[in-house]
Amino acid sequence: MRKTYRYRDLVYPVADDTDLNFTVEFISDGNSGITTIFVPGNPKPEIEDAGTVFIGKGSQLRGEIIVCVSDLENPIPEEDEIRVKYKINDTLIVEHHNPKSEEERPIVILFLKFPKP
Amino acid sequence: MRILILLLMIALSPLAGMAQEKLNPLKAPSSPASSILDLQPKTVLEPKSYRALETALYSNFLNSNAEAVIPTDFALEFTPYWTKNHSLSLEEYLYPKSAWDQLVRNSSFSLASTQNFILGDSTKSNGLAFGYRTTFHISNQKDRELISNYRTELKTNQRISNLIVGPSELLAASPNVSNKTDFLDQIKATVTKAIYELGGYKTIEDATAVVDKIYEDASLLGELDKNDPGPFLDSFYGVIDKNLHADSLYNEFKDYIRNRQGLSIDVAFASFLNFPTNSFEFSYLPKSAVWVTPTYKFTEKLDFIKILGVLRYEWYLSEYYKRYFPEATIYENNFDYGLSVASEFKRFSIQFELVGRSSNTTIPAGTDGQGNELFRKEKNSDFQYMGTFNYNLTDQIVLTYTLGSRFEPFIEPTETLISLLSLNFGFGTPTIDAIDLSKE
Repeated sequence: MRKTYRYRDLVYPVADDTDLNFTVEFISDGNSGITTIFVPGNPKPEIEDAGTVFIGKGSQLRGEIIVCVSDLENPIPEEDEIRVKYKINDTLIVEHHNPKSEEERPIVILFLKFPKP
Repeated sequence: MRILILLLMIALSPLAGMAQEKLNPLKAPSSPASSILDLQPKTVLEPKSYRALETALYSNFLNSNAEAVIPTDFALEFTPYWTKNHSLSLEEYLYPKSAWDQLVRNSSFSLASTQNFILGDSTKSNGLAFGYRTTFHISNQKDRELISNYRTELKTNQRISNLIVGPSELLAASPNVSNKTDFLDQIKATVTKAIYELGGYKTIEDATAVVDKIYEDASLLGELDKNDPGPFLDSFYGVIDKNLHADSLYNEFKDYIRNRQGLSIDVAFASFLNFPTNSFEFSYLPKSAVWVTPTYKFTEKLDFIKILGVLRYEWYLSEYYKRYFPEATIYENNFDYGLSVASEFKRFSIQFELVGRSSNTTIPAGTDGQGNELFRKEKNSDFQYMGTFNYNLTDQIVLTYTLGSRFEPFIEPTETLISLLSLNFGFGTPTIDAIDLSKE
């Protein structure tokens, strides 16, 4: 069974009119994955592999728990670990790391809150 | 019995404990350095395994009195590129932008040592060999199509999974859900929508059949614990993963990456350093070699067969051999050419090789009437054939046995029988975190 890594109670204080950009940065070699950010409304912002996506303004995400799901995998034989950084507006929120001997296809879930500063 | 005890001791030694968890089964040892030192008799160098660090012990593990002995010959191969992260995307990994990228990533350095290099007068001397090799893979249209298909299907599964996992996490924490039945009832529409819209099913009925199977399996799951929904949700995601065949698809892709269809070319160099007086201050480089090993990997019905070619040029330092092997006939230049067929099964692999040798050397032939030195060129030919059986004792330890007839050795030309047992140990990539002693 796949292992799921949950990072709860992540808080990023933000002003109402501030744009929020969510970044997935692959650190280990050979990672592949899809990250979906469950903001209110559709379509849900998505990042294929690594990159940055606009997820809304502070006021739009206020009061909600925003769930961000990454379905990752690392099929290359030379790499022993999966290491991924999650950032909001270039601020590191979580650096996920797991050895591939533990899980080669982790599901990483972030629970984010955006209160006022 | 003593052999078994020794093998068991080595397998359970601290070396095995140091190794990281299993990831990729190790292959049989074939470093250029161990080859130039004749620690391994094969001419064909198989492509290296994916371990950043490998070691091998070479010995028959028995002395002339049939007593177990500790091996004195060893080899080590190190691939520096993979000891640190480069944020290399899977795309960049699969399709390097240039030959330079391939050269850097696949460069490995090997070292081999023996305390038993026997000189012409039967004295033992120390021998050291160092080698280098790299691999170039030439991707073809079929390879690109296969990889593209795998990646598209895997991404589709990841998207479906995400569209189910996100809402599931919120729903499980919702006050509207109090047990497993509530959860499964309320998430069903999300599951059906994700599978129908992204799964490539032609009709809603086809998608519904998959959902029905998911729900049949999910009905067997344990109860949802509202205070700790994680274990239930993980099991539910496992059911979805199983019904989307995502894990088996991923494993197929992973296997394919290790055995990509098409041509790859290994280029290697090695040189042998001998200390004939066992003094570090006095050494010779008596022998060097370059290899070019093209390998073709078939797919589909013939995917268990690998054909390897070999071209090897070996050159000997005649001055050294004249001094330390005065009775031996040494050919300065040796050109080897041959073929090998290898086949891998679950825990073992076999390989047969047949290699021809064309040798020549220049021999002094007196002087002419004006006192100028004259030379004559002497030529010879030979061939060797051998079979190798490799068995993975564990994913990190390979036992190898080689039997066959080698090229005529220059000391005892009639002793061509090869019967050699070796052990190869593989280690994962040590990371900065792994060796950070300040961490608790």
